[in-house]
Amino acid sequence: MKLHAESLTRTYGEVHALDHLTLSLEARVLVLIGPSGGGKSTFLRLCGGLDRATSGQLAINDILLAGDERHLQQWRRGNGFLFQQFNLFPHLTALRNITLPLEKVHGMRPAAAIEAARISLDRFGLEAHAEKLPAQLSGGQQQRVGLARAIAHGPGILLLDEPTSALDPEMTAEVLELIQELAAAGQHIILSTHEMGFARAVADHVALISAGKILESGPPAELFGSPREPMTQRFLAKVMRFS
Amino acid sequence: MSPSKSGNPFAETAAAVLLTALVCSGFWIIFSQLEWTRSSAALWRYRDSLMQGWWATLLVSAGSLVGSCLIAGLLLLGQRSGLRTVRRFTHLFVEIIRGMPLLSLTLIGYYVILNNRQISQVLESVGLEGKMFAGILLLSVFTGAYLTEILRGGLESIPQAQLDSARAVGFDSRQVLRYVVFPQALRRVLPALAGQFVSLVKDSSLLMVIGVNEFTYQARAFYAATYLGVEAFLPLAVGYLLLTLPISAFSHWLERRFKAETAA
Repeated sequence: MKLHAESLTRTYGEVHALDHLTLSLEARVLVLIGPSGGGKSTFLRLCGGLDRATSGQLAINDILLAGDERHLQQWRRGNGFLFQQFNLFPHLTALRNITLPLEKVHGMRPAAAIEAARISLDRFGLEAHAEKLPAQLSGGQQQRVGLARAIAHGPGILLLDEPTSALDPEMTAEVLELIQELAAAGQHIILSTHEMGFARAVADHVALISAGKILESGPPAELFGSPREPMTQRFLAKVMRFS
Repeated sequence: MSPSKSGNPFAETAAAVLLTALVCSGFWIIFSQLEWTRSSAALWRYRDSLMQGWWATLLVSAGSLVGSCLIAGLLLLGQRSGLRTVRRFTHLFVEIIRGMPLLSLTLIGYYVILNNRQISQVLESVGLEGKMFAGILLLSVFTGAYLTEILRGGLESIPQAQLDSARAVGFDSRQVLRYVVFPQALRRVLPALAGQFVSLVKDSSLLMVIGVNEFTYQARAFYAATYLGVEAFLPLAVGYLLLTLPISAFSHWLERRFKAETAA
């Protein structure tokens, strides 16, 4: 996956969520770390085609993420996205949450959609929960179903926005395990996380975003092992204190 | 939430006895005034017109139910129009209708619609009974304005996260509404909608002031002819309950079905 961001800016009123962010890299698994409110989510939303930059350019695999809603929708259809929480549609069963987009977005026949959804659920050990509503699932199970939905159509890139931030440690582990499995199987992933150990293990490129800019970026061994920027060192010292 | 635990058995029994006594004496006061032979004979004589009135109320209610949904749909579109003028107009329209008593709306609407010769000629030529048509139209507009606000509240209550998720799986804006927003919003506003439809059935009684031959109109005609008050209006109450209670029951049933889902 090739990613190129040039002076990328996104403002909400007076707030500069992204402030002339520039980043150019090639990676299979890109992990975004950094303080809350630093711009990770905004950057992921732009990468996922859910939002538009105020100015600057963003291209992934040489596709420019700009232009009209149709173009962005086309981009979203080719990829998968998972938010922190509330991903699932609460009025639909786990299975239907997966089959509905397969049918309506990807044009699969109902039988084929069910088949694909079952494969996806089985892969994550969720076959027993197929007919349950989201409210009947634990937070970790909900995220796993969300993940199953995000990969059911074979997305080019999987975008995960703090997928475990709303979960307790046990559930966090069960979700991170799946993400690691996907990464090991060759899935291209961009994810943001506060789990530094996980970031280090799964990433082949880490970028630290703070105040809407890239503070430092590079291979995990470098960034975690010998960070160049003083601010990176301070951030890592703070978040690693208890780990 | 209603408290589900029962109190102590003695208090429960005492309450049951007291309430039964209260209800019975109420019924006794009502029914002791009846002259059963004369009353039943009179009711039997007027059964056709009373039945006709009940059917007319059913027809007006059903027609207005459909009509009000159509009008609410139009008003909702108006509220979401890209043109500010249309949005402003829609809001103003809804507020004016909701701020007016149904009685005055009915009277004004009636004199505007049916006193206009062209309109009434058109209605006649297509075989529509003018009063009935005016009644259904007015009740539809009135209820439609209320439905619009109920539905708007429901649509706006769907959290942004759901809209994001729906876009993220690749739905276009119409699919977002159809598969994600509407089904959830509808479940949330169901009790309010049912309440509005129950009101609609009861409000249809006001259409008697413009001479629609509905149930209340016929009950009053019966009373005017016989001077039998209780005999006229007791069946009236029962007749309306026959229409409104099923609506409430249906809504409660749907609510129970959806309960698990809305917990999320």
